[in-house]
Amino acid sequence: MSNSESTNGNRWLIGIIVILLVALCGAVCVGGGVLYVLMQPGANPFAQGATPVAPGKQPVPTTRPPATGGKAILRLPGTSDPRTLDPAQVNDTNAGQFVAEIFSGLVTLDQNIKVVPDIAEKWDVSDDRKTYTFYLRKEVKFHDGRPVTAQDFKYSIERVANPATLSPTAENYLGDIVGIKDKLNRRAAEVSGVQVIDDYTLKITIDAPKSYFLAKLTFPTAYVVDKNNVERDGRNWTDKPNGTGPFKLQEYVRSQRMILAKNENYYGDVKPKLDQVQFIFAGGSFMTMYENGDLESVYVTIVDIDRASDPNSPLNKELFLGPSLATGFIVFNTLKPPFDDPKVRLAFAYAMDRQKVIDVVYHKMPMLANTILPPGMPGYVEPANPLAYDPAKAKQLLAESKYAGKLPDITWTTIGAGGSAAQDVQVLVGMLQSNLGARVSIQQTDDASFFNTIDDPTRNPYQMFDVGWSADYVDPQNFLDILFRTGSTQNWANYSNPQMDKLVDQAAVEKDTATRFKLYQQAEQMILADVPVIPLTHSREYWLTKPYVQGMVYPPMIIPRLKYVSIER
Amino acid sequence: MGAFVIRRLVWLPVLLFFISVITFALGLYGPGDPVQVLLGVHANPETVERLRREYGFDQPFYVQYLNYVANALQGNFGYSLVKYRDQPVGKLIADALPVTIQLNLVAIFLGLGIGVPLGLLAGLQRDTWIDLLVRGLVVAGISLPIIFLNPVLTFLFSRRHDFVLAAAQMKFSVGPFLPMVAGHWDGLFSAKIILPAFIESLGIIALMTRQMRAGMIEVLSEDYIRTARAKGLRERVVVVRHAMRNALIPIATILGLMLGGLVAGSFLVENWFGVPGVGALAYDALFSRDYYITMALVLLIAIAYVLSNLLVDLTYGLLDPRIRKA
Repeated sequence: MSNSESTNGNRWLIGIIVILLVALCGAVCVGGGVLYVLMQPGANPFAQGATPVAPGKQPVPTTRPPATGGKAILRLPGTSDPRTLDPAQVNDTNAGQFVAEIFSGLVTLDQNIKVVPDIAEKWDVSDDRKTYTFYLRKEVKFHDGRPVTAQDFKYSIERVANPATLSPTAENYLGDIVGIKDKLNRRAAEVSGVQVIDDYTLKITIDAPKSYFLAKLTFPTAYVVDKNNVERDGRNWTDKPNGTGPFKLQEYVRSQRMILAKNENYYGDVKPKLDQVQFIFAGGSFMTMYENGDLESVYVTIVDIDRASDPNSPLNKELFLGPSLATGFIVFNTLKPPFDDPKVRLAFAYAMDRQKVIDVVYHKMPMLANTILPPGMPGYVEPANPLAYDPAKAKQLLAESKYAGKLPDITWTTIGAGGSAAQDVQVLVGMLQSNLGARVSIQQTDDASFFNTIDDPTRNPYQMFDVGWSADYVDPQNFLDILFRTGSTQNWANYSNPQMDKLVDQAAVEKDTATRFKLYQQAEQMILADVPVIPLTHSREYWLTKPYVQGMVYPPMIIPRLKYVSIER
Repeated sequence: MGAFVIRRLVWLPVLLFFISVITFALGLYGPGDPVQVLLGVHANPETVERLRREYGFDQPFYVQYLNYVANALQGNFGYSLVKYRDQPVGKLIADALPVTIQLNLVAIFLGLGIGVPLGLLAGLQRDTWIDLLVRGLVVAGISLPIIFLNPVLTFLFSRRHDFVLAAAQMKFSVGPFLPMVAGHWDGLFSAKIILPAFIESLGIIALMTRQMRAGMIEVLSEDYIRTARAKGLRERVVVVRHAMRNALIPIATILGLMLGGLVAGSFLVENWFGVPGVGALAYDALFSRDYYITMALVLLIAIAYVLSNLLVDLTYGLLDPRIRKA
């Protein structure tokens, strides 16, 4: 064996390998280049003598609608696939936004979240305020052309109450109707509280006078579905939903896109103007897609909020603010020391500079909350003297409490995973430590375990935690009664104040709206004074929308909103 | 040979039994349940109780397990409880599986196509600068974590990068390569497959390179290589026919085991890039306590690994006659 031959042979092999690698790299580069040229029509990437773009300048946002062959098409980001398109199964806003376009019910919410007639053109309420008689519009048809009658509503409500439907919202939204719970728990075959008077008259009886009952009926649980559709297609019936809403489902490819098409025969007074609405589910940066003109509207995340709210940015003219009927709370478990002492709770409230957290951690996206009811909720009033940051007062209150000098170790439980807990919690805990010398440790948990624990408040071992609440329906009862009445499942703080209970009970049956809201305001003041919770945020949504899109609404509740939208060329 | 295959296959149900009991028990006795996740903070206690009863979650463990098995044996793997409410689990998996397989196949091809030549090169040029460079790349490929690569590559490809060559009075821009980061998943030929497949292939490249390099070095010092050289064979023949072929045997093993992994998707890559595959589905299922999806996926992946192991053992015989005879 000669050395030279071995070297020669090796060289030959190395040559081939190198050529292969170079070819591979070359192929990738050429492919990338071709892709690039294809993607930027009209732009010559190698143009000479062009002025360099100043650093930091963003590409100019597109202001003209894309050519769509004369069709009005709205393209929106889909945050994630809807869990379901079955109105009986909807219990979140994500699924609700699609279902509200495809289906509809007796009543709905308008743009100002007021209850207004929908398929029912009017209704009577009996003197004992327990019986509602709905008179249906006669021209309402399902997407396939079949007229909607009172029997369809009876069928739809019976279906929600059928235990086999496994509706997650039956009790919350329809539980007030007489006989619903009997059917849900297999004690009755029929819901006695729903009666068909004639084809266009429906009578619903509830168990007690409840001022918020109509507000509950605006939720998808009470929407009308087509019996033929449901029974013919079994579990997959929502693949081809036959609804009554302003839009029809044209195409849905999971995790990719959903296309809604205009319902030409929509009965409503506001007719849909868009031919098509496309929701894009594929991941990636929606913000980039918006800036490139591939979406008409996009929600702004905390990553882009500073850029979008900068008055010098061209994006700023396209920025819209959507209120949310939601409040984020820091909850004290009033059964657990040291929070059984109201003075400790108040001391904690004074020791946390919440405004700073809003400004620095949240980039001012949510509003600082000083009330339990969010702004926009009927009955909301601006607080007269909101709780301000006051470390000196905090120290004083702690010294007056029964835990003065012997404050036990505290654990703050929060939803989350990973190396570091949510920044807001960390910052607030830091303030408690420096202002009160409190030893607070943060414990993270996943949401399944968290909900499992806090949904049984009296046995909940957590001392303090943070949790958000968004309105199920537009009524103060949904916050003040559900979250703070003695014994309520969502009374996470285990707050108990017989006077407050009396106020919300009175308010629930009060006929006069002004008096009713006054009662709720008193109740709210009472709660705020006792500090079972500290309101932290009222969330807000930020959207960018192209100037050629008109009538876009950013509602805090599930409402059919796309019928208001048009594209002006 | 036949007896060997049959013995392996007989063990499969036993293995599946243990895996399914453990997975089912973990789901049932772990904290939180799907009803709780479904209802969240707005849970009404009456609704929770009703749904648990209707789903049979209040039944003893063995009743629930036997019901599940009885249904599964008839091909009914249940329905999604939370995230894809009421969608049959079989359909969800049938939708996600091809996506993940395509992605993994591309990653494996990239891994083989780049890793094997690189390893060969390093093995032949042992201790030269080429070898050092390749080894450095391998270390980088293994150690760069996906949670780092995901955002970095997304950033690089989703923005426009302007370059100015002042001397040549030229300006050129690269990107944004939107179809790669924000486009639709459209199967094997979508631009969107490039980044996830590349990221998933890095580990494979590193593995293949290292294995190929070690194999070449080992084989090249064998007696039969010296014999081959001694009898005057040209180096090309020695390397290609005698050394490379033997060095490829361990690669076949790794490849075989990867076939099992074909059906398992990456949580991190699929979720980040919005690839609607098995990894994304498993992530959703685990965090929403969607028992039936988790069960079906665990069983599917177990079966795939058992079968691919079997396949590896069988191919060994083809590559190495000594094993076939034994």
